[in-house]
Amino acid sequence: MSANYAIGIDLGTTNCVLAWTDLHVEQPEIHLLPIPQLVAAGTVEQRSSLPSFLYLGTEADASAGTWSLPWNQGSSFAVGEAARRQSAEIPQRTICAAKSWLCYSHVDRHGPILPWNTPDDVQKISPVEASRLYLQHLVSAWTERFPDAPICEQQVVLTVPASFDASARELTREAALAAGLPETLVLIEEPQAATYAWLDDQRDVWRKQLRAGHQLLVCDVGGGTTDLTLVDVTDDAGELQLQRRAVGNHLLVGGDNMDLALAFHVSELFRQQKQIELNPWQSVSLWHACRAAKEALLAEDGPETWPVAVPGRGSRLIGGTIAVDVNRQAVQDLLVNGFFGSCSLQDRPVRQRSSGFRELGLPFETDTLVTRHLAAFLSSHGDQQTTAQPTHVLFNGGVFKSAALRNQLLQQLSTWFQSPPIELCGERDLDYAVARGAAHYAWTKHNGGLRIRGGTARSYYIGVETAGLAIPGAPRPLHALCVVPHGMEEGTRADIAGGGIGLILGEPARFRFFSSAVRRDQPGTRLQSWTDDELQETDSLETELTQIDGLDEDYVPVRFESVISELGVLELWCVHTDSNARWKFEFSVRDDAQA
Amino acid sequence: MGRLGLAVRVLFNGDFARQVAELAAGSDSPARALPEPAVVAPVAVPAPPKPSRSDAVTLLATLQREARLLDFFKEGISEYTDAQIGAAVRDLHRQTNAVLERIFAVRPLLDAAEGSSVSVPANADASVYQLTGNVGSGSPGQGTLMHHGWKATQCDLPRWSGSADSSLVIAPAEVEV
Repeated sequence: MSANYAIGIDLGTTNCVLAWTDLHVEQPEIHLLPIPQLVAAGTVEQRSSLPSFLYLGTEADASAGTWSLPWNQGSSFAVGEAARRQSAEIPQRTICAAKSWLCYSHVDRHGPILPWNTPDDVQKISPVEASRLYLQHLVSAWTERFPDAPICEQQVVLTVPASFDASARELTREAALAAGLPETLVLIEEPQAATYAWLDDQRDVWRKQLRAGHQLLVCDVGGGTTDLTLVDVTDDAGELQLQRRAVGNHLLVGGDNMDLALAFHVSELFRQQKQIELNPWQSVSLWHACRAAKEALLAEDGPETWPVAVPGRGSRLIGGTIAVDVNRQAVQDLLVNGFFGSCSLQDRPVRQRSSGFRELGLPFETDTLVTRHLAAFLSSHGDQQTTAQPTHVLFNGGVFKSAALRNQLLQQLSTWFQSPPIELCGERDLDYAVARGAAHYAWTKHNGGLRIRGGTARSYYIGVETAGLAIPGAPRPLHALCVVPHGMEEGTRADIAGGGIGLILGEPARFRFFSSAVRRDQPGTRLQSWTDDELQETDSLETELTQIDGLDEDYVPVRFESVISELGVLELWCVHTDSNARWKFEFSVRDDAQA
Repeated sequence: MGRLGLAVRVLFNGDFARQVAELAAGSDSPARALPEPAVVAPVAVPAPPKPSRSDAVTLLATLQREARLLDFFKEGISEYTDAQIGAAVRDLHRQTNAVLERIFAVRPLLDAAEGSSVSVPANADASVYQLTGNVGSGSPGQGTLMHHGWKATQCDLPRWSGSADSSLVIAPAEVEV
């Protein structure tokens, strides 16, 4: 295999982007791949991003060639811009936010569950399959542009949220390999990719801005999620190094919440002032019009009011258009105070459980104040239980295209710390930074250069039921055994004494599995209690313990071994202490819908 | 196989999807075999002519889809107030500009500011330099820029793959069911 290109792919919640550079050059020169996609029936156009939407067409569509692509004649589905447009009018046939489902362990992510909550006569597909189809579209676009450079032979880097746990990463890798990406695929975290994009932009000048002892907060608020990361700048024998210190939990709050909040506010204005109920079709126009209004009203010298107009459904544009004036203060209250409102560093996100019965669905954050989530994150990641005090901030994600929101967050940080963090600026298009940074990293992997170190973002634990007399009706107390420490580096392994854990051969063994973004335990540490904020349960692990030749007993003592491969893939093995027979655990993501 | 079953298999089975695609493309396949076997010699059927549509229609369709440009021009405006027209046009303006930018990446032809003095090359192409005023027979050398002109720095039109019958359709009729 001889790779000629370094490729970075951003598989986003709302948009996918592919960036590339020649691998054998002194300095990477990063380009975006134009992605041919359907923008309407029978109409293919190139765009620099692929909206992460999938429209499941009808049989008639397929036979008429409505959604045909150069590489997929008679396709029964459409991915990209056309699908995004369909999502408003035909939601029951449109899949969106598949990525958010990918890391939601309460549903079967190999099961046909999307589009969520739609009638059974629509053929559903799984979150993994939807992700595969997005990636496959990118692979096809690459193949069309570079027919002589198969993507499976290139150096490819795919990004995931820093908050993705091991099983969500594994599912992403599975979808990627099924889509035709190479086995050598490397996953990196989006905030790190954003940092590489900044480094790529700065070239060598970055050393003038950062020095040892500095700490960088990467604040990435995308369409659907908020992803926080802290990176330390250290000095290693005179060379500056970047070390990822911590990542935040998976927070389902982002720009879409903001647009939705504003759209809801404006639709209420229409109802109150004009007695007009907007239909779903108009709500899409409203959504777009609100985005424009947001930019205008939040600008530093923005007007006091801004007209938001929504065109009518029929062919009469002017006669059908309805408009209301939205005022600056209302938008300020809704968006700036509602999402970036000031709070103290001691504040914590408020968790609301409105009732015991909650509809199964994505666990959107009930507290939309990004600032409170940030306060909680910084408070738990300083040295020796202190609060982290970042010296610099790097913004990423479409939300921060708004200067008003960037300033609001900087303002908040300056009230928390005596020396306010400095924003790292640069000419970066926030829509493409992650893919560009990933391509830069792919180039670095081959040619050498600065890399952010850090190992695993989380520590991992298996659940061990304690022995002892059973109490009818009560579950046995559960302990958590640390099997992967935070920061475990790629290409290393850890041995964990089982401490008296035994398993029955010939039967499937299953462990509950937990991860933590905040605890810093050594492998082998056994926790007897923890809070919900410390440990999150993820998919359970299972393996079939085959019989060992020449062994009569069927109850054997075991120890564990964890391995982080060079590609960053976590493997967990269970080893018979006497014979060294080993069994590999797999995530059982199929039927983990917990009780 | 039920319709639903077919859809499932097309979605999830690459080989089957390929067969369906071949069917759609009209290639030979057992499922396509005619019930009447009495054909003596296979006759090569010429491929149907590739449907084509004028790029002008494709551009109109794009402007209508994204900015509702036709709706705007086909509607009588005499009955509306300037405020009503203004409300509709603000978005149309933004959307039309986005389309022009994406497809043509339109830029001024000359970078100089209007009103400033610019040099005109000898034997300048009249489609690049339109001379007005005191135009003599020789090369003027110098002049005042009245309009900077426009140029498309790319021409990235959508590709269209519809049927010949619909090649003049600019926007489909929308029917809610």
